[in-house]
Amino acid sequence: MIRFQCTVQEGYVPLELRGKLANSIEDCCLTVLGSSQGPVTVNWIEIPKGFGFRGGQPSSTSQVRGQIPDGCNPDTRALLLKKIGEEWCAITGAGQDELIVSARDESWAG
Amino acid sequence: MPMYRCMIPKGSLNYSQRSEIATAFTDVHCGISNAPRNFVHVQFFEIDEGTSVQDSHGAGDLKFDTPFFIAGGNRAGRPPAVRSQILDGLVNRFCEIASVPKSDVSGYISEAPASWSMEDGQILPEPGQEPAEWYAHDAVAD
Repeated sequence: MIRFQCTVQEGYVPLELRGKLANSIEDCCLTVLGSSQGPVTVNWIEIPKGFGFRGGQPSSTSQVRGQIPDGCNPDTRALLLKKIGEEWCAITGAGQDELIVSARDESWAG
Repeated sequence: MPMYRCMIPKGSLNYSQRSEIATAFTDVHCGISNAPRNFVHVQFFEIDEGTSVQDSHGAGDLKFDTPFFIAGGNRAGRPPAVRSQILDGLVNRFCEIASVPKSDVSGYISEAPASWSMEDGQILPEPGQEPAEWYAHDAVAD
């Protein structure tokens, strides 16, 4: 089971793109990690204007945070993050400096 | 990577206070960790009646019994004392700016390995292993 949560700032990732983004995250996961690692779920949180900051300034940054099965080697994990990042930026037109992508082991306890 | 989510009662903080807290949290975090300022993220979530929030870094359901709660997520690898120092600094500044007593604010900072995150197109370095060019991120406008 793979779970991703996308946190976006109001006004930066239109609703009509979110389905395509979710599909691309799923494709990246199944391509890089293997189709047996699915299913993949993606949910969304939107931060209202005036409620998200970066470096003390209003933020335009999106965060794509996932949980993936344990045992992923570092190179594979890095490839997954990179592919998701590239797809996200291609679909949204955002720069890499407006995106955080992470994928932690599902058993990681913080 | 540093992310601080503030759970606050609905309507309790105006924009000016939220902005001031975000800057203060950036000051606290960067003053202790030397992270680039542009990497510090602060978000506010208005809640009706909060008792728990799902941790962003895998620590599960974070329960709280105060009106305000700070849920932090940082790179792993710093001594526990440093994590406490950061949290104390955040709570102190939050209380000053929000004009609330310390008994009204609690918090928790969880961690995850730096290499599990990518920011600005780069896999994050471990604490203490940041290359000099990493600090160029402070020049990135947001």
